[in-house]
Amino acid sequence: MGTTVVVGTTFGVVARQAGLTPPEIAGMSLLVFAGASQFAMVQLFTAGAPAVVVIATVLRHLLMAASLRRNFARVSLPRRLAAAFFLTDESFAMATGDFRRGGTGLIYYVTFAVTLFVLWNAATLAGVALGNAIGEPRRLGVDFAITATFIGIVVLGIRRPTDAAVALAAAAGAGALALAGASTVAVIVAGALAPILAIALRR
Amino acid sequence: MIWITIAGSALATYLTRSLPFVLKPPGRLPAAASRYVDALPVAIIAALVGPAVVAPGGTLTRGAEPLAALLVIGVVWWRRSLLAGVIAGVAAVALLRLL
Repeated sequence: MGTTVVVGTTFGVVARQAGLTPPEIAGMSLLVFAGASQFAMVQLFTAGAPAVVVIATVLRHLLMAASLRRNFARVSLPRRLAAAFFLTDESFAMATGDFRRGGTGLIYYVTFAVTLFVLWNAATLAGVALGNAIGEPRRLGVDFAITATFIGIVVLGIRRPTDAAVALAAAAGAGALALAGASTVAVIVAGALAPILAIALRR
Repeated sequence: MIWITIAGSALATYLTRSLPFVLKPPGRLPAAASRYVDALPVAIIAALVGPAVVAPGGTLTRGAEPLAALLVIGVVWWRRSLLAGVIAGVAAVALLRLL
């Protein structure tokens, strides 16, 4: 939950500094509600990253939802569809823990997931206010906050040596492509190819 | 344009969250595909970092960003805290750019 507040506030600051309006920023947190893809969207608006990048960051939901499918089957379809909106890495982890301990209903998941949603949106608004107060970003290094956030997300997301290899390959590859002048395709090419390492290295 | 992108992302994101609850998944994914999808988010985010570090704002870095990036990796790894990393990185970049 602490992470949600920190990342949500950072998102508000960064998006505001990037020149998005407060309604646009609040709209993203309300409607998209997916940290990494919201940051990627800011990159898309400011640096012209391709839209596929945003989709690629949310594909993992398919795996998480598929894994929860059996437990969610106990409630009606409209309820399942409503509960699905709040699915995130954190709520998935909590729900999986609950079901493993023998939980059957969705109340545990829904309470936790909706709390995260409220915190995420409140933190976003706090970040927008903070971003307004900071003023000229480059002088204070605030423009680097989005890069630092991405680095932090990657470092915290590394669970095995393979993950580190994939991340290094993706960053180095995209950096090299950008230096070579192919900045529009750098992210998507490096990002799509690097995970092949994960298949190759874990046999 | 921005609102269309936001609406499109919202829809695409919701579909990835909800489709497996509606449609029957076509059996289990092959292990290789599952590993690929699992590694994809970290790879994409790392790929966003590369260009931002070597050519921030489209111009070749003068060294502040790569040094700060190494610092962020170290701080986040050591403290397991995103906030500590972001604060350290922003402060480092601000200082290094003065040099």
